[in-house]
Amino acid sequence: MKFLNSIKGLLVAAVVGATTLAVSSIPASAQGVIEEIQKRGKLRVGMATFVPWAMRDKEGNLIGFEIDVAKKVAADMGVEVEFVPTAWSGIIPALIAKKFDVIIGGMSITPSRNLTVNFTAPYAHSGQQMASNIKLAGGFSSMDDYNDSSVTISCRRGATPCNFAQARFPKATLRRFDDDAQAFQEVVNGNAHATISSAPKPRFWSDGYPDKVFVANNGENLSRGNEAFALRKGDADAVNYFSNWILYNTANGWLEETNDYWFKDQSAWKDLVAEQ
Amino acid sequence: MNRNDLPPPIERRKLTKVDFTLFAGVIFLVVYAVYQVNDVLVYKWNWGRVTNFVIRFDKDSGTYVANLLLHGLATTLRLAVWGTVLATIIGLVMGYWRTCENLTLRIISRCYVELIRNIPPVVFIFIFFFFISSQIFPALGFDNIDPDSSFVDNTIFRIMFGDPVLLSNFLAGMVCLAMFEGAYITEIVRAGIQSIPKSQWEASRAIGLSPFNVLRDIILPQALQKILPPLAGQFITLIKDSAIVSLISIQELTFLATEVAASTTKVFETWILVGAMYFVLCYGFALLFAWLERRAAKNRR
Repeated sequence: MKFLNSIKGLLVAAVVGATTLAVSSIPASAQGVIEEIQKRGKLRVGMATFVPWAMRDKEGNLIGFEIDVAKKVAADMGVEVEFVPTAWSGIIPALIAKKFDVIIGGMSITPSRNLTVNFTAPYAHSGQQMASNIKLAGGFSSMDDYNDSSVTISCRRGATPCNFAQARFPKATLRRFDDDAQAFQEVVNGNAHATISSAPKPRFWSDGYPDKVFVANNGENLSRGNEAFALRKGDADAVNYFSNWILYNTANGWLEETNDYWFKDQSAWKDLVAEQ
Repeated sequence: MNRNDLPPPIERRKLTKVDFTLFAGVIFLVVYAVYQVNDVLVYKWNWGRVTNFVIRFDKDSGTYVANLLLHGLATTLRLAVWGTVLATIIGLVMGYWRTCENLTLRIISRCYVELIRNIPPVVFIFIFFFFISSQIFPALGFDNIDPDSSFVDNTIFRIMFGDPVLLSNFLAGMVCLAMFEGAYITEIVRAGIQSIPKSQWEASRAIGLSPFNVLRDIILPQALQKILPPLAGQFITLIKDSAIVSLISIQELTFLATEVAASTTKVFETWILVGAMYFVLCYGFALLFAWLERRAAKNRR
């Protein structure tokens, strides 16, 4: 019985300890994120490396589309910015554990994610893009021409683009490859009519073979995603602030201009990332 | 039985024909594998882009400076050193408790060891990290340390704990690793203490030493001699285990390598290089510890 008593004692101690911790953490959340950022003088941003959203330049510094976005948000708030590079799989738990104030990480709005975090208005629209062989598909008049049994589309095995191709062009023959670059090579070689991958990769590949490959659908994406900032639940003020920051910078064209710089043409920044 | 009493083993120094055939076979397999990889992958090797992330030439100062991967290696080493220090403290306390007469202490230490040894390290680190980073660190005020204050922003502190901005991140990784490795060190310490014959406890108690003095003056000095070699091995294990804290975004070698691989798209080069960096570090320490052990053994004789 002595054994049982000491166990009981331990349990009570553990419960009391846990309750004290839980209670002590409540007052901290009473203050809004915006006030917290201003008081700290620093905006902490969670992000993950994904070209060309965020990546490392030759000096090891972070550059990319959302790095520019986060820097401007901080500048407009009059605070410094601190980037917290985070593994993608753990980025939402890290937000909830208050490792940073906001995720600016090219995160697409999905209903299931929205149950755990709040999203702002979208600040970017990514999507699937198609690169096509000029000889084989140059004469196609509409995207529906690709939905034909004589058409071959290549894509990377197990990736979203393959699923997308199957749903959008069910009649076409799919050829799956282990690697994006291989799938693209098939288009260059004329073994496939087109390849699908997430933007802006097909455009960047096509830049290298302007006489053989073009970006289908007049260069537009085939699908449209909505990327937004993600915030912890329960803070409407922060969602309001960041959403309106995005609306404001969409209206004045800053977001589109910055997006074009990183997504339209990699020649502008390729030298920053690698020795040529 | 002291292992120094064993007769020196007879070592073969000359390679025979069989050895050469084996070597040739191994080399053939390696070459074949490399050929296959090149043939199947259609992969453009480019080491320059990745080695640039170890050391780069700084045009402003005109010197070579450390880049991401070398910074990551330093963080890994710091994690291993401080993780081992903290784990040893945990291990000494828990290891002693494991041998105590007090039942409560024995239950606590036994629970700790069994809990940690029977769940995968990644799972433990996920749970524990989100607990300490959302509850314990804010309560202790680690998240609010001013990175510009003179206490943290000086050379000594930077060498010992790295960039002050990443301090809370570093400490979280260190505590996770220490809690985890502590369980293994507990068992090393327990085995060390229990290897001292019971008669020594009885004899020291009989001459009137307090239990604390028995431990400090009689048992631990002898136990430490037995503990140190496996502890050194555990330190090397911890260097390798530290790679798992990349999953909770601690900015050590493996985490930064994923960033470099994603940025350069040179996946194979990055991981081969990082593997080589780990190997050099771990094997270097293994040689160092083996040398120290030999020297200590000589001095004991």
